[in-house]
Amino acid sequence: MTQQQEKLSAFMDGEIDSSEILQAIKQDEALQAKWQRYHVIRSTLRQEATVAPQLDITAQVAAALNDEPTIMAPKRSRLKRLLGGSVAPFARQTGQLAVAASVAMAVILGVQQMNQPAPTDAASGSAAPLIGTQGGLAPVSLEQSRPVSRNDMAVMMENKRKINALISDHEQQVKLKQAADNAAQTQDAEPQK
Amino acid sequence: MKIRNRTLRLANDGRAYSFRRLTLSCVAALAVCFAGQSPAQTLPTQPTTSAQPQPGAESAEVTQQDRLSASKWLDKLASTVKNRNFQVSMVRTLSGQETVPYLWRHAVLEDGTVMEQLNLQNGPGQEQIRVGDVVSVFEPDVQPYSIRASAIHGPIPPELLTEPQLLQEGYDVVSVGRARISGKTAQQLRIISRDNSRFSYQLWLDEDTGMLLKFNTLDLQGNVLEQIQVTALTMTEQPHPYFSRVNQSSLPEAMAMGTTRKPIHNWEVGFLPAGMHEVSSDIRRLAMTGQVVEYKMFSDGLVDVSVYVQPAKNGLGSDIALRHELNTFLTLVNGSAQVTVVGEIPLQTASAMARSLTMKGQSQP
Repeated sequence: MTQQQEKLSAFMDGEIDSSEILQAIKQDEALQAKWQRYHVIRSTLRQEATVAPQLDITAQVAAALNDEPTIMAPKRSRLKRLLGGSVAPFARQTGQLAVAASVAMAVILGVQQMNQPAPTDAASGSAAPLIGTQGGLAPVSLEQSRPVSRNDMAVMMENKRKINALISDHEQQVKLKQAADNAAQTQDAEPQK
Repeated sequence: MKIRNRTLRLANDGRAYSFRRLTLSCVAALAVCFAGQSPAQTLPTQPTTSAQPQPGAESAEVTQQDRLSASKWLDKLASTVKNRNFQVSMVRTLSGQETVPYLWRHAVLEDGTVMEQLNLQNGPGQEQIRVGDVVSVFEPDVQPYSIRASAIHGPIPPELLTEPQLLQEGYDVVSVGRARISGKTAQQLRIISRDNSRFSYQLWLDEDTGMLLKFNTLDLQGNVLEQIQVTALTMTEQPHPYFSRVNQSSLPEAMAMGTTRKPIHNWEVGFLPAGMHEVSSDIRRLAMTGQVVEYKMFSDGLVDVSVYVQPAKNGLGSDIALRHELNTFLTLVNGSAQVTVVGEIPLQTASAMARSLTMKGQSQP
């Protein structure tokens, strides 16, 4: 079995190229499941997974229930039979609810862990500052943003120049703001003299 | 597993029945879980946005108290920056870029002259020296020049350091608590725009001196865009000897700023974030391309936003949104005009401003 697993893993990595393992996978259900799980794991690691891997928890629950030793209901005591009716239907119901709730909890936790968004890179604006190119123009991701058309290099360069002109003008204006304020104030003050 | 075993034994009156219940509730839970997925993911952003004061007597009272002590801290910062002799080493980090170190000195000389120096320490560098209300700028590839200004334009918003009362209109200042920054006990403050339309800021002030130790700029999602961290702080009784070496007569003369009359533009920006006002307007030729633009600047006491309007045929021809350092650059065609908004504001706000532009001629035919 371990040998088969090893072969399966190597086959997925493209290290061996044999039809033997293919046959084995075709025939072995456990290997098929493994094949699927390996792929899910791989695509998750590569952050390619677009859908949550199927959580086939029902099959496992069913299997677990089958394995469970059956505990038959104890014979009712004579007294209880005399009293008639079940003693604690409410308690039993809560028990069932608790089972349901605990399983639901496990499913929610499982799905949330699977569906957590992949951590974004620093380039896309996370907190961790990384060393990178300085002073580059990075597109902001929002629906309004559109990539600069690439079919005409000259137009693009011209646009870049216009953008730079506006940004540098803004920065200059911010720097000169106080000076302009002072000038305006002195101008306002002069007529009063 | 333990729980399941125990509870399963409780439900011992029929495995098939309980199993059906199980799978049913599983499906239901999954459905609930998927339905709740998208709001659950956006939840982590809520604390930053919901930090605004809620309308209501009780909460308003609490924030009133907070603001009082928080603004006292800002006043202390302003007083320190204005009156003390100090030398500060700090680094500035923009997300995804290299860290840039600065040296910042300030002194009040014996004759009452205030001098200030800000030096960019990496590469060819940039040096700004302020003597009184004249700031001289020395940078590579540009002739040294001087302008009249009461503060050096550095990485920390000068208005925050000198005139913190200006930002009361647009922002709430909230005291967060104590922390340890640069080896000192610090008071942490948050500055949040009242209508949540601008970046928010976290700052840490030295408890002893009120000096700024750390300054974070955060976007609306709470991501850190820029970090300024003080690495060394020295407060001295005497001015730093550097200032006695500055030959004041060799500094360039302050440029005379043109005192042209304010032109009246036939357009106006309909949407302005709370506390933001027009501070200047102009018709100008861009230095790099020579294009003529109509220009207005808006300020809320902390950030400055430029709005450019030019004929669409001279413009970029398409709608573009970019982020350059902290500046958002947004340009779009609005009728026959190309409208460009540049400033340290979120893209949503820039977009709202650009789209709210109306021609006076059109609105009042």
